[in-house]
Amino acid sequence: MEKQKYSRRFFLSTSAMAATLAFIPVGVKAFYNNVKKLVIPLKEKMAIKLSINKAKYNLTVDTRTTLLDLVREQLDLTGTKKGCDHGQCGACTVHVNGQRVLSCLTLAATVQGKEVTTIEGLSQGSELHPMQQAFIECDGFQCGYCTPGQIMSAVGCVNEGHTHSVEEIKEFMSGNLCRCGAYNGIVQSIQKVAK
Amino acid sequence: MGFFKRKHEPKKVPEGRVEGFYKVTGSGKYAAEYKLENVCYAVLVGSTIAAGEIVDINTDNAKDIEGVLDVLTHRNRPQIPAFADEAKAKRAGFSLPVLHTNKIFFRGQPVALVIAETLEDANYAASLVTVSYKTDQAKVDFDKEHATVPIAATGKERGSMDAWSNAPHIREQAYTIRNQVHNPMEMHATIAVWDGDKKLKLYDKNQGVNNVQQTISRLFDIPPANIEVFSEYVGGGFGSGLKVWSNVPLAIMAAKQVNRPVKLMLTRPQMFTLVGYRPQSWQNVRIGADANGKFLGILHQAKHGTSVFDNYGEGITRISRLVYNFGNLKTESATVPLNLGAPTWMRGPGDCTGAFALESAIDELSYDIKKDPLQLRLDNLAVINDPDTGKPWSTNFLNECMTKGAEMINWKSRNPLPAQTKEGEWMIGYGVANGMWFAGRSKASASIIMQKDGSITVQTAMTDIGTGTGTGMQNIAHLELGISHDKIRIKLGNSNLPAAPSQGGSTGLSTISGAVAAVCDALKMKLAGYASLQDAIYKDAKPESIVLSDSGIAYQQAGNHLISFDKIFSKENLQTIEVEASSGPGEERQKYAFCSGASHFCKVRVHTKTGKVKIDRHVCVVDAGYVVNKLAAANQVSGAAVGGIGMTLSEEQVVDSTHGCFIGGDLAGYHFAVNADAPIIEVDFINKIDPNINPSGAKGVGEVGIIGAAAAIANAIFHATGKRLRDLPITPDKVLLAKS
Ligand code: FES
Ligand code: FES
Repeated sequence: MEKQKYSRRFFLSTSAMAATLAFIPVGVKAFYNNVKKLVIPLKEKMAIKLSINKAKYNLTVDTRTTLLDLVREQLDLTGTKKGCDHGQCGACTVHVNGQRVLSCLTLAATVQGKEVTTIEGLSQGSELHPMQQAFIECDGFQCGYCTPGQIMSAVGCVNEGHTHSVEEIKEFMSGNLCRCGAYNGIVQSIQKVAK
Repeated sequence: MGFFKRKHEPKKVPEGRVEGFYKVTGSGKYAAEYKLENVCYAVLVGSTIAAGEIVDINTDNAKDIEGVLDVLTHRNRPQIPAFADEAKAKRAGFSLPVLHTNKIFFRGQPVALVIAETLEDANYAASLVTVSYKTDQAKVDFDKEHATVPIAATGKERGSMDAWSNAPHIREQAYTIRNQVHNPMEMHATIAVWDGDKKLKLYDKNQGVNNVQQTISRLFDIPPANIEVFSEYVGGGFGSGLKVWSNVPLAIMAAKQVNRPVKLMLTRPQMFTLVGYRPQSWQNVRIGADANGKFLGILHQAKHGTSVFDNYGEGITRISRLVYNFGNLKTESATVPLNLGAPTWMRGPGDCTGAFALESAIDELSYDIKKDPLQLRLDNLAVINDPDTGKPWSTNFLNECMTKGAEMINWKSRNPLPAQTKEGEWMIGYGVANGMWFAGRSKASASIIMQKDGSITVQTAMTDIGTGTGTGMQNIAHLELGISHDKIRIKLGNSNLPAAPSQGGSTGLSTISGAVAAVCDALKMKLAGYASLQDAIYKDAKPESIVLSDSGIAYQQAGNHLISFDKIFSKENLQTIEVEASSGPGEERQKYAFCSGASHFCKVRVHTKTGKVKIDRHVCVVDAGYVVNKLAAANQVSGAAVGGIGMTLSEEQVVDSTHGCFIGGDLAGYHFAVNADAPIIEVDFINKIDPNINPSGAKGVGEVGIIGAAAAIANAIFHATGKRLRDLPITPDKVLLAKS
């Protein structure tokens, strides 16, 4: 393969700009578009095997599909939320092989062979996970949209042992934004479970 | 009529919110999460200029992409009937003729909509749409433009400005705040599904299903009854969901064009331009007091940005008319049209902005007079009558909020002099400020369906955007009826349910509690009617003397002898019992003025070398009548205070005046408070019933938790450092560069 001088991101981000520059000569534009076609490949699909919430899946996915869009749009596991799609909010937090991970920054193709746990798979059977129970008891949410991500992250936070003080919990939960500001209850829920 | 006058106490403390299970398991469905057969995806293309015209759009490359179904532009979209006629568009209350004009009013304005089989296809194809423009000079710089806009009187003038021109103490200062963006965690999204030509289902993120229904009905010329709007779970709003934005008609047009259900989800950057924001503002406050600190007069002037296509005005100066006694008062305002998306109500609209200036100015005055800022406020509070209308406050315990909050934060331990208290490299300071919000109430309806087993479902079209409305309704129904919590189900957020206004302006619970109380009475009367067929004495029964339980109905005058629901249902051969009732404000609004109030106290530490501000403690004491659900109400207040921390220290949208775009329009560029930015917020309530507002005696708490918070923090920063910061947000650079 030829060494690419310009990245995919370059073309994605410059397209909009180029579009505004009506005065770019037609020839230059055509050339730009031709090069762009080489850099941004057309749709490709690949087969992957993975396990989500202990269920095995054999799927054919678009190579551009994120783990987040895979679970939400194709598998109807909508408990995992999209708050930004850019790794800036934590709403999409899931566990991959037991670690907390942002599913919007994870291409589905890269979880081949891994074990994914989403909020739907956090509890065993009909019992709630202690963290889910604590979130209800401590009112650790308002609108509930950041909540699955908070809970997945909170479980990670406890497992990682970052629960020695309110400050430590707050620090290690700051990748999960809550616009409702339900941080009081979130911290209390974690303290309750960490005990 | 009010349940607070009733005898029976709650039998069981609710264990959590009615919808708690669905939220913690991720099983509650938000707008974009409904599973619909054959759904396809739409992705928006926004304009890359802020003012001008579209000259040409090339969608060929996009259409060539595998999976793309169509690309809508102003040239080929299905016609929205109301946009063919200006008067109709006006009636629809929808200001942006989206995809029905080649004019560009702001950067990010939708110019094309790509519809494709998958989200990935649509996203990619959207990057291939090219547009050429004729660019006009855009006005985006508020600071530059506002000087050119004349200011005009707003509201009635009290007394005269001359009367206090020689006051012993006069303070005059300007205060500024940048654009702030709601950014609910759930991004706005719509799934539109046509059933034939005249019937429409919308799964939409908003704060009022009936509002969406009405607006779309007017835009598309379809009877409201043919439009069903689902908003059962709403991932926050803070005002952004009070209007119908372009994503809704766009999804509807797209669904019509491809004759399939279409899902349109805004991206986070689009959330910055397409669904409103709190507009940038400039304020000037002149305030005067006599030698003892009695307020003599105030001049409050305010200007804020709006968009060139939709004139939005908010009452920034209103707060100055309400909280304190100013014998002489003048308020003036103006809006400044800009080539930006339309601003809209955002948590505590107007008052939140106004309170920052008013409460900062009062604080500045207190140091001029050398009077405790707490005492200065207490001495001037208007807790008896609303100074603006002269009507007595129904209840106003703001003075008690202040005293209680002062105790909680140990105000008296504070050194009265600023810039005196140091801990290592940190300077410590305390600040106080008040907030107030008019306690509104509107008309709403609710219904109850009772099943044979005595369980009931209480339902209304109102949404619950996270405030705990559903849980509040359950509590009220339980108190009214005596039926236990686990036998009361709540259904919300569907336009086919009994009509209710949008949930906003802290009016939700106040409004719906009346309807729930009324429908509970209606249920009792209906059951009494059936009971009278078995025991004639029930004929004269009044709701107050009827007691329901999980098993049946009893009546004091009938010796509290129980007639079981079972018996009623089987005797009358009933499947369900259904009742509906409405309730709204009445003549109490003529007699009284209504408000919720809050006092904010804050302890900050400011780093002497980096200028970093850390909130050590934030105390908020609220007077909002009877507190129906303390846990949820405290959550609302603390969440609002967290919003206030972001507003004060980090939230700002800076406009790039060259390109007309917001700089850093995503969550990496726009910083609202994360968990570590806020301490555990300490919340308390006065919890005294407002006997006149509604049957529950409860008032809203959603706004007062943020109104005043910014000033309390800024005042604490002054107390810590001796530096007065009058421009929000107060970022470390401003702290370091400010002079004491
Ligand atoms: S959606 Fe993944 S971090 Fe925001
Ligand atoms: S609960 Fe609404 S964003 Fe966290």
